[in-house]
Amino acid sequence: MIDQLPFLAEINPGLWVILAGLICTLLPIGHARKAFVIAAPIFAGVIIFQLNGLNPGAHFGGEFPFGPVELTTLRIDNLSVVWGYLFCLAGVINGIYGLHEKCRMTDSSALIYTGAAIAGVLAGDMITLFVMWELTAISSVFLIWKGGDHAYAAGVRYLAIHVLSGVMLLAGAVMFAQANGGDFMFNEIGLDSPGGWIMLLAIGIKVGFPGLHMWMQDAYPKASITGTVILASFTTKFAVYALARGYAGEDILIWIGAIMTCFPVFFAVVENDLRRVLAYSLNNQLGFMVCGIGIGTSLALNGVVGQVFVHVIFKGLLFMSIGAVMYRTGTAKASELGGLFRSMPYTTVFCLIGAGSIAAFPLLAAFVTKAMILSAALEEHLWVPFLMMLFASAGVMEHSGIKVPHFTFFAHDSGRRVKEAPWNMLAAMGIAAFLCFYLAWPFGGYQNLYALMPYEMEYAYKPYTWDHVVFQLQLLFAAIFAFTLLKRFKLYPAERRAEIIDLDWTYRKLGLNIAKWGSAMWDRLSAQSTRFRKNVIGATGRRLYQTFSPAGAASEATPSGLAAILTAGLLFVVLMLEYFAG
Amino acid sequence: MSVEIETLPEADAETKPHDDIHPAAKPFLFLGSIKTRRNFIWIPLVGMIICIILGWFHPQKHPLPYEEYITGSWAIWGFLAYSTIVLSANTLFKFLGRDEDYYGEGGLPDPDVSTDPMITGEPHHD
Repeated sequence: MIDQLPFLAEINPGLWVILAGLICTLLPIGHARKAFVIAAPIFAGVIIFQLNGLNPGAHFGGEFPFGPVELTTLRIDNLSVVWGYLFCLAGVINGIYGLHEKCRMTDSSALIYTGAAIAGVLAGDMITLFVMWELTAISSVFLIWKGGDHAYAAGVRYLAIHVLSGVMLLAGAVMFAQANGGDFMFNEIGLDSPGGWIMLLAIGIKVGFPGLHMWMQDAYPKASITGTVILASFTTKFAVYALARGYAGEDILIWIGAIMTCFPVFFAVVENDLRRVLAYSLNNQLGFMVCGIGIGTSLALNGVVGQVFVHVIFKGLLFMSIGAVMYRTGTAKASELGGLFRSMPYTTVFCLIGAGSIAAFPLLAAFVTKAMILSAALEEHLWVPFLMMLFASAGVMEHSGIKVPHFTFFAHDSGRRVKEAPWNMLAAMGIAAFLCFYLAWPFGGYQNLYALMPYEMEYAYKPYTWDHVVFQLQLLFAAIFAFTLLKRFKLYPAERRAEIIDLDWTYRKLGLNIAKWGSAMWDRLSAQSTRFRKNVIGATGRRLYQTFSPAGAASEATPSGLAAILTAGLLFVVLMLEYFAG
Repeated sequence: MSVEIETLPEADAETKPHDDIHPAAKPFLFLGSIKTRRNFIWIPLVGMIICIILGWFHPQKHPLPYEEYITGSWAIWGFLAYSTIVLSANTLFKFLGRDEDYYGEGGLPDPDVSTDPMITGEPHHD
C-alpha cells in the first residue's frame, strides 16, 4: 500500500483515525459510523505495520518547519511501534464492544481520542506530542459527559486537570529545548534541568502519580459504559509511553511506582462502586509500570512494555465485563449485585479470565510480564520495592482477582435475573479473553509478545520456571485462603454504599468551601466598602454643602470685628512665613 | 455516614425456580449452594499446602535474604498482606466513608439517565 501511495509514509497514521472521527461527527447513519469505528484503527495498524517494515529500526516522516521549530510528526521505532499496534488493537476491540450504542458523540469522540493517542505515541517531537496530549483530553471528556448529568462536574475537573498537564508539558518542553539548543525532538529527557522536572510532573498527572491520581477515580466510574472501557485503554498508557521514552532509569520513579502499587489497594478494599475499584486497580497496575521504568534495565523496560500491552487487554476485559453487568442491571455497586453467574455465565467466565490475568495466575497474561518487572527489581537488589510490589500483588488479588468477580457474579444472590450481555459485548470480551491466554501461552504465545519487546536482553526471561510457578501459586493460594478464612469468620467487611473520600476532597470539598467562603467574604467586603464609601462621600458632601453652599455657613453674614481679627491673623501668618523663609 | 441497603436473604440456588436461569449456567448452579461455598475453603488451603511442600523440596534458586530460613515465605507474605489489607477496611471506612451524596453532585443513580430498575421501576434492557 505504501508503494502505491507514498504520501502515507509521511502522515502520522493516527491522523487517519482522527479524520475518521471528524467524518463521524457529520455522519448520521449509525452503521456507517460503526464501520469507521472498526475500520479506522485497522487501517492505521496496517500502515504502522508497513512503515515499520519499510525502515526497520526507525522510520521518520512528516518533517516540516513550524516557525523556528523543526517538527517530526511521525516516528516509528522499536518503542513507539508497540504502543501503535496496541492502541489500534484496543481501538478495534473497543469499537466492537460499543457496536450496540447508537450515539454519534461516542463514536466520533472515541475515534478522535484513539487517533490522538496513536498519533501521540508516534510523534517524533514534543510539540506534536503536546498537541496530541491535549487532544486526547479534549476528545475524551465527551465520553465522561455521556455518563449523564452526574458526570458533568467530574468531566470539567478531568478536562481542567488534563489541560493543565498539557500546558505544563509544553512549558517544560520549551524550557528543556531552550537548554538543549532548540532541539524539540522527544528523546531522553532526564531530570537534569527544570524543564525535565516540569515535564515529569505533567506526565505524572496523566499517569496517576500518588497525590496526582484522583482524576482517574473521579472521572472513569462516572463515564458512560462504553466510555469507561475506552478511557481505560489510552490516556494513562500514553503517559507511560512518554515516561518510558523520557525518563527510563530515573531512580525516583522506583519509589513513586512502588508507592503507586500499594496505596490504591487500601482504597479499593473499601470502595463499593466496582468501576471505581477497577480505577484504583488501574492505578495500582500503573505503579508496576512506573517502577519498572525507574529500574531501567532491559529486562525491566521490556517487562513494562509487555505489562502495558497485556494490561490494556485484561483491564479492558474487566471494565467490559462490569460494563456489561451495568448495561443489564443498571448498577455497578457491589452492594446491589451478586449471583449474576446464573444470568450472565459467559460474562462471568470472561471476568474470571480478566481477574486471573491481573492477579498473574500461570497461563494468564500478567504472569509473564509482571514477573519480568519483579525479577528486574531482584536483580538490582531492590528488596524494599520488590516486597512492596509483592504486597501489592496480594492487593491485586484482593480487589480485582476476588472482590470484583465475587461480589458481582457470586456472593449472595441479589435476585436479579437479567439477560446475558449483547453479542457484540461478548465478542469483544471473547477476543480480549483469548489474548489473555494467548499472550501467556508457553508454547508460542508469550514468545510473540517477546518479539515486540524493544530492548535487547542479555538472556530471554523464562517465565515458566519451577520457582516462578510454584512460588507465585503459593502467594495466590494463600491470598485466596485468607479470603475464605476471613469470610468464614465474618471478618470480611460487608459492601456498604458510601462515598469514599480521596485526596480530591482537597479541591472538591476543602478547596470549594474555601472558595465559597472567599466569595462570601468578598461579597461582604464589597458591600461594606460600598456602604463606607457612600457614607464618607455623603457625609463629606453634606459637610461641604453645609459650609459652602449659598445657604451654608461660609455664606452667612459675620460681624466685621471678627473679619478684622481673622484678616489680622492671616496677615501675621504671612509675615512670619516671609520672615523665617526669607 | 454510609447508607446500608437491605440485601436479599442468603438464597440457596436449589430453592429458586430455574426457569429464569441461563441454560449455560444450569450445570453450575452448585456454585451458588451453601455447601459448595462452605467447602470452597479447602481448595486454596490444599493448593497452598501443596505449593509450600513443593517449594520446600525445590527451594528458589535466588531467594531473598530471609527466604532461605522460612519455608513457604511467599505463602506467608500473601496471607499476611491480604489479611492486613482486608482487616484495615473497617478502620479505613470509618475515616474515609461519607454519605453517598457527600459531594452533592451524584454518585447516586441519575434519574434523568439511569436505567437502574430501582430508579425507573422497569426491568433493565430485558
